[in-house]
Amino acid sequence: MNALIGKALAFAAVLIVATIVVVKQMNIDLSDPINLLTMIGAIAIAVLSAGVSAKYISQMKTDTASGELAEENWDGIGEYKNELPAGWAYSFLGTIIWALWYWQFGYPVNAYSQIGEWNQETKEYNQKFEAMHKNADKATLQQMGESIYLVQCAPCHGTTGDGNNGQAQDFTKRMAKDQVLAVINNGQNQLGYPMGAMPPGMASGKDAEDIAAYVAGGMKGEQPAAFAACASCHGADGKGNGGMAPNIAEYDATLMNHTLQNGKKGIIGRMPAFKTTITPIQEKALTEYIQSLSN
Amino acid sequence: MFHWLEKRPFFFAVGVFLVIAFAGLIEILPNFAEAARPVEGLRPYTVLELAGKEIYKKDNCIACHSQLIRPFKAETDRYGQYSLSGEYAYDRPFLWGSKRTGPDLHRVGNYRTTEWHENHMLNPPAVVPGSIMPAYKHMFTNKADIETAYAEAVTVKNVFNTPYGDDIQPGKEAFEKHFKSVVLPEAQKIAADMKNQDVKDAVAKGEIPEIVAMIAYLNSLGDSRYAAKK
Repeated sequence: MNALIGKALAFAAVLIVATIVVVKQMNIDLSDPINLLTMIGAIAIAVLSAGVSAKYISQMKTDTASGELAEENWDGIGEYKNELPAGWAYSFLGTIIWALWYWQFGYPVNAYSQIGEWNQETKEYNQKFEAMHKNADKATLQQMGESIYLVQCAPCHGTTGDGNNGQAQDFTKRMAKDQVLAVINNGQNQLGYPMGAMPPGMASGKDAEDIAAYVAGGMKGEQPAAFAACASCHGADGKGNGGMAPNIAEYDATLMNHTLQNGKKGIIGRMPAFKTTITPIQEKALTEYIQSLSN
Repeated sequence: MFHWLEKRPFFFAVGVFLVIAFAGLIEILPNFAEAARPVEGLRPYTVLELAGKEIYKKDNCIACHSQLIRPFKAETDRYGQYSLSGEYAYDRPFLWGSKRTGPDLHRVGNYRTTEWHENHMLNPPAVVPGSIMPAYKHMFTNKADIETAYAEAVTVKNVFNTPYGDDIQPGKEAFEKHFKSVVLPEAQKIAADMKNQDVKDAVAKGEIPEIVAMIAYLNSLGDSRYAAKK
């Protein structure tokens, strides 16, 4: 017994010395509380393992069995009749009571579900987001717009917004000449404006060319006479008559809204609708950012 | 109390098995059957989409792309509504994947288009700067295996009762009729949105390059497979 305690102490001492040697060797800075705690922990584990193994080894050497044997035995190996320990019995009863509650009231209303957690998290986040950005200033919106743009829009429109070599709409200007011509020749009815469908062939030949050059040039200089055909819906300034028809001069909030809600197929290709992915505040931010690209 | 049972290890083991098996059956099976049913309004893949799915498997897209959106806010923000098990009812096998070197594709049809996929498959880094996805130029010249896809549709219709129409029938004649009346028009619609002249010519001749089937499959991932949502 005493010899055993001696061995255990020696074992613990070896482990402690080894720990200290390693700490010294690796130049570990003990003024950092984390390092200090780790070393104390290592020493505590060494002492505990030595103590626990000494206890059980001595028990194996000296302990004798006692109690009443059960009737049956297996190849001479018997079993004592033991009462269930009180703690086990109470927790067993507890689980029975809990199971009754769970069957009757807990499931499914009070049960955990991943979808429920998602619902809650999303709802809380959206409320916080709405409250936080209700009156966001221009700089915040533009910053938010840029991050949304990089995730949702950049894969097609390019990270700089130039349409990625003609693969998508170029946001540095409103329309290119061939786009205007394509709309004049084919008409357009995808954005759901109150003015309704634009029929094909509102202008033709040189008139169409003049209009296209004028619109693509940013509506600067002298307005061609043929533009009157456009002005009746899009307005003399091309700004869409206060949201009745698409703004062909700049990216305004209604144009952004109609495009995101409906998607669009033009001569470049199709853009899918983003009505479920982008919230109203995000749309406002995106508008702010896209306007900043053409200015 | 149970010494009579404990003395008979074999019957004791049988009893334990029966209790656990019964509990498992009544707990797991009803949920499983419920969740495996197709979501309301979900249509099975068309033959062209099935051919694309075969290419997805053959070219091992699953090694880098998952098809399972987990119910975490960060994921639903990026990829859309979380996935439901009933959405995979017609996927044999499902292509959940377990590695996201690239993005999840379970709803890619909602936010990418034919034009985008065409540009992207030819040269991914030109569309997504910094992308490490390899180009899949061979898809523009290889022909899709429509016969096998059709055979798959016939098989799942007969074996699993997948709700295909009456025109999916065994036999070469039925296949050719379906090919001309359904598969080819669907492929023509996709080719019309594409720029590659070789692909357009091939489809006009009645051949279907892999890229067309692939794009049909990718466009089908998302809302376009729900009759009700469309």
